[in-house]
Amino acid sequence: MIGDAVERSLRSPKVLISVGELLSNAAGSRMPDVQPDLLTDEVARRVVAACPTSALKVDESAGREYLVLNYGDCIACSRCIAAGSGAFRYAERVDRCGVRKEALIRRWDIQSRAEVVPNEPSLSQAAEQIRALVGQALNIRQVDAGSCNGCEAEIVALTNPYYDLERFGIHFVASPKHADMLLVTGPVTRNMAAALKNAYDAVPSPKLVVAVGACGCSGGIFGGSHAVVGPVEAVIPVDGYIPGCPPTPSMLLTGILQVLRPLSSPWRRRRS
Amino acid sequence: MTETVSNSESGVSRALDLLRTANTRLVSIFGSTDSGSTGDSGVRRVHHLIDVNGREYRMLSSPVTGPIPSATEVTPAAAWYERELHDQYGIECEGHPDPRPLLFHENWPENVHPMINDVSHVPWINDDGQYRFLRVQGDGVCEVPVGPIHAGIIEPGHFRFSVVGDTVLHLELRHFYTHKGTEKLFENAPLMDGVMIAESVSGDNCFSHAVAYCQAIENALAISVPPRAQAIRLIGLELERMIAHIADVGALCGDVGFSVPAAYTARLKESLLQASTHFFGTRFWRGMAVPGGVSRDLSSAETGEFGAIVTAAARDFARMARLILHTSSVQNRFESTGILTAEIARQLAVVGPAARASGIRIDVRRDHPSGRYRNLNVDVPQYKYGDVLARARIRIDETAISTGLILETLKELPTGSVLVPVPAAGNAEALSAVESPRGELLYWVRIRDGKIARCHIKSPSFQNWPALPLAMPGNIIADFPLINKSFNLSYSGCDR
Repeated sequence: MIGDAVERSLRSPKVLISVGELLSNAAGSRMPDVQPDLLTDEVARRVVAACPTSALKVDESAGREYLVLNYGDCIACSRCIAAGSGAFRYAERVDRCGVRKEALIRRWDIQSRAEVVPNEPSLSQAAEQIRALVGQALNIRQVDAGSCNGCEAEIVALTNPYYDLERFGIHFVASPKHADMLLVTGPVTRNMAAALKNAYDAVPSPKLVVAVGACGCSGGIFGGSHAVVGPVEAVIPVDGYIPGCPPTPSMLLTGILQVLRPLSSPWRRRRS
Repeated sequence: MTETVSNSESGVSRALDLLRTANTRLVSIFGSTDSGSTGDSGVRRVHHLIDVNGREYRMLSSPVTGPIPSATEVTPAAAWYERELHDQYGIECEGHPDPRPLLFHENWPENVHPMINDVSHVPWINDDGQYRFLRVQGDGVCEVPVGPIHAGIIEPGHFRFSVVGDTVLHLELRHFYTHKGTEKLFENAPLMDGVMIAESVSGDNCFSHAVAYCQAIENALAISVPPRAQAIRLIGLELERMIAHIADVGALCGDVGFSVPAAYTARLKESLLQASTHFFGTRFWRGMAVPGGVSRDLSSAETGEFGAIVTAAARDFARMARLILHTSSVQNRFESTGILTAEIARQLAVVGPAARASGIRIDVRRDHPSGRYRNLNVDVPQYKYGDVLARARIRIDETAISTGLILETLKELPTGSVLVPVPAAGNAEALSAVESPRGELLYWVRIRDGKIARCHIKSPSFQNWPALPLAMPGNIIADFPLINKSFNLSYSGCDR
């Protein structure tokens, strides 16, 4: 019967998604994006009021008003989309995955209705070293530091035949001692803080840490809990952040690759 | 039915008497404090929630002034609930055989109980004292500690095995590494925000949690959810069950080294997640359930397409499942491995697929139906042997049953709206139950001045985890991942 199972499997359709289709694809993530030409002062105030976390803010500097969206705080509840009169919509692409913390933040000048485009993202020093050592043949140790398991479900999906993470030479390993990267989910709970620190110490240098999900990036809805220490960076240093609640497999893949090598094209496209 | 008892002693002793009678099952024990405008603020209450004759939930609410008699002697299923009751509310349960802290580890100070004390600045205790595990002694007995971090992409928890050679004599769990103080976070949340917390209790069953929460709000405020919304909720709940069961059967194959069906079922699961994205804009149905209905409708053209994808996945799964069950090496590993006897399952009030695989035919959809389930007959499969094979078979059978329910509902989708407005709320309380993929899931909410004052979650994983160690003795330690996976309990759902 083993042969029958193999034969049935071989006859199943090819489902592998190409890299081009995957990178930055945010379908199903429910993350918001902004349609700047529809942005008004009133819309900005409405969406800020609707946001249950502090992901949306209006910022004033030098007499100009900016709408600020911090993907790291966003729990993808889509209330801004309901309140935004068309100026907010579900993002088709989110390229802020695996980036430094400041790059999670997007800004729009409300008067001129245009995004303030950031500088080209820079790599962390560890990322430069690991890239020089191993290229993209990366060993990842995943650590759940207190998540709801939504992020785990999506990380497991990376190994299914649609995403096939191993085609990039990326493997999940059982021991932190074999790892180049820790992929950490969850708000770090009081009860997991020591274990997370131990796992980090066991990874040989140079090492990378990627914080995953709204909880990993900012603590998410659990940030203020008495049983939670905080986001991943409250316990160990973080090189890259992947937002989302949970991030989809394509966002995770984008993040894992982008920590090592910024995907320059989306950034450049917006600049031109 | 809820009964509020004014006298502590008579209330708790009536609960214990009820638990002693035949055909009752402990559902949950939890605390609350009377708060808000109507309550005599500060008084602690204990709530004993009991299933009577498999048809009725009866709750006895008693005020607490001092220690209360423990229910653990009457039903071992009460053990963890009463340990949590002490951790959260400082309520002593007299006669409890194991009064160790449950939720909090060594870093947490004694005598700080989050539901009654200020927890804005809880000091960090650097206590080198070790948690006291049960010591198994004798010639050749070794202890094997595993976790909290495990080898795979799994949630954290600690397992302490006492073994002789390969054979497990005893297993003790230590959990609550992912305890996030979730029930406390509900306090003072606006009704609409509670859904977001419920969705983050156990991410892979987030729709079951969201629906259970929404139904509790709707029961409390007497909101009648439009039939079309009830139908879409049923589709989501059954789809979540299909996805969970398909993934579990695949993972069981992975754990016996049969990687072809593991990859095959991973493809089927992903096809259903992508269908959810295509038709509902969300992979796990986050944001779909809202108090008053659902946030998104399905057009009549889409029902056919969606049904075709579900049918194809179910057909492919059924064929592969047949091959899996006829593979001799799979039979060899699944059969008579990790047996949970009916007697132990009953004593620990085990729920869900694990109960049904051990000869206990319970299912919220049939026994305590709500929403669309009131109009449907749900088949409840049952196996007797309580081994890994029985738990795999339950999941295979239930996947087919869920497919049938989805297709039947799609065919007769009621017309009309999918959402009604939620009226302004004053004070109210209500219970709601859902059969999640892991079993009986209950939400109990108390609303005060239009906000959540208390939300208790009875999670099937919290109920079932204590049964896993009792399925281990006599098995070899190498079979633990397989046995554990056959229960597939949520750590976060348990730890909250």
